[in-house]
Amino acid sequence: MFSKHVSSLSSAYCHDEISPEQSRRVAEHLISCRRCRREFEEVRFGARLAAHLPLIESPDSLWGGIEIALYGNGRTVLPLPRKRIIPYLMQPRFALASLALVVLVTGLATFWLRQNKSPLKSGETMGPFWDVARLNGAPRIGSALVGDKAKLGVGQWLETDTTSRAQIIVSDIGQVEIDPNTRVRLVETKPTEHRLELAQGRLSARISAPPKLFFVDTPSGVAEDLGCAYTLEVDKAGGSLLRVTMGWVSLQLKDRESVVPAGAACATKPGIGPGTPYFEDASEQFRVALSSVDFERDMGDYVALGIVLSSARVRDTLTLWNLLPRVSSPERPLVYDRLAKLAPPPPGVTREGVLKLNQQMLDAWKEQLEFRWANSSPSGPLKAWAKVWARGLGKLNGVAGKK
Amino acid sequence: MLEQTAIHAEQLVQSSPDSINSGVIQACQQGDREAFRLLFEAYKDRVFSIACYSLGDEAGADDVTQQIFVKLFTCIGQFRGESEFTTWLYRLVINSCLDERRRRRRFLPVEEFTPMTKAVHTKPAETRYERREIAGSVREAIGGLKPKMRLPILLKYIEGLSYEEIAAVLGCSKGTVASRLNRAHKALAKKLGHLRGELEL
Repeated sequence: MFSKHVSSLSSAYCHDEISPEQSRRVAEHLISCRRCRREFEEVRFGARLAAHLPLIESPDSLWGGIEIALYGNGRTVLPLPRKRIIPYLMQPRFALASLALVVLVTGLATFWLRQNKSPLKSGETMGPFWDVARLNGAPRIGSALVGDKAKLGVGQWLETDTTSRAQIIVSDIGQVEIDPNTRVRLVETKPTEHRLELAQGRLSARISAPPKLFFVDTPSGVAEDLGCAYTLEVDKAGGSLLRVTMGWVSLQLKDRESVVPAGAACATKPGIGPGTPYFEDASEQFRVALSSVDFERDMGDYVALGIVLSSARVRDTLTLWNLLPRVSSPERPLVYDRLAKLAPPPPGVTREGVLKLNQQMLDAWKEQLEFRWANSSPSGPLKAWAKVWARGLGKLNGVAGKK
Repeated sequence: MLEQTAIHAEQLVQSSPDSINSGVIQACQQGDREAFRLLFEAYKDRVFSIACYSLGDEAGADDVTQQIFVKLFTCIGQFRGESEFTTWLYRLVINSCLDERRRRRRFLPVEEFTPMTKAVHTKPAETRYERREIAGSVREAIGGLKPKMRLPILLKYIEGLSYEEIAAVLGCSKGTVASRLNRAHKALAKKLGHLRGELEL
């Protein structure tokens, strides 16, 4: 835990106005400090409100008043502004001479560098890159076959066919395995951001890094790593399915975000973004109805929501808690009542407050529910990891969007 | 030899801050009336918006905006290019608004905005109703902020300036800008907490 709180940097962090090193420090601190996280969420909410400040259209008569003030005496051209005394050395002839000198020096330097630069070896890329290893078959980077080892440069595509697989080493923070019939592109790799694009197919990522460092772009959302292992699959329609095996992953598209814990999954659809997270051992009836709630139903259609609520188990409180801010105001009491019956809220969390989406009450309830979600995970060896991350994170819907 | 800026009717319609280059500014400094008009069209809504939010009434904002542009056109020769033109411009705007407020020695509530105030719409009709509701609440909340917090918010969200640019306009440090924006965001969140549900959808 960092000894110095970071809440004073919240706005600057939101607006990306701090250095990469500071940004990492803030991100790491927010995982473990509930107080700073709460303040950050407050600042971020305020920033989202301020973003709604409208530009006010000026009246049409404005120019007329200015014209009268400027040209009211009948002149058609304004008097020239008072000439300023240009310092001797700033006169154009000296500026031109300086410019010529700069061009000459730059040209000589460029010429010298080109003469002394060794040519690229075959297969080498310029600029940042990730190491790629062939696991099976014949994966390709562009048109070149990947041997035992290769390099994937920024902007390059890695493709696998029906039998090939590959492994990408993501800088110094983890690795990604690429399944058959998959196309991925390295979008960015720098100390503050590592980003892949998954156009189609499936990848499995295992990342050990602070949050907001590793991203995967898909046609229907951005998967943001929060320190975890997961698989992400994109179908031909551009929809995707995220399955988290360790830690947490955030899926985002514009203002819509879902934070998915270990053992859970979340689907996304193009133009809509992420749906509501759910545990994969939920009944098929539950999952089909949830898909309808997320992507297909019309406003006022309570049938699908009713099925979700009636078939929910204690473990499915993950889904119900995430539905609270997503459903309409008339539907929210239904979700609350079912959630409260399965897992009564802790002291201090009131029905009225939750229905008004009081952030502190929602966070408090989630903290209590996360323990159930972590302990109900089917995977024994992953319980310890799930507990650590469940206690460490409290992120709710946010504003980060797809690039 | 300075270039003459050829201004066509279409340019006036499409005029935006992005279209204002050094050639237009130099033409203004030479007294080119059409260049002045181009500059005016590019910045009129932004300057008017800041005046509205600073002063709290449209009629007053109208007068101040005219004064700002008249001052701009007559003093543009003093712009030496040592800073960004926008920094120079917005410093002029902020100082003019502060001078007007000092002259009035009062702050009119935002409720006195006339119903004819038109926001510049960029969203589809079906989302405009909700956004108008939120925008109205935000505008009212902004009007209740102290000037030290209100001005950085306006420069950030109306003008889209960076922290460094805001600091240059206000004559303070970047850290001070960050601190004031932090306080302003928290103040807005506290006042408009009831809108959290609407923003989450």
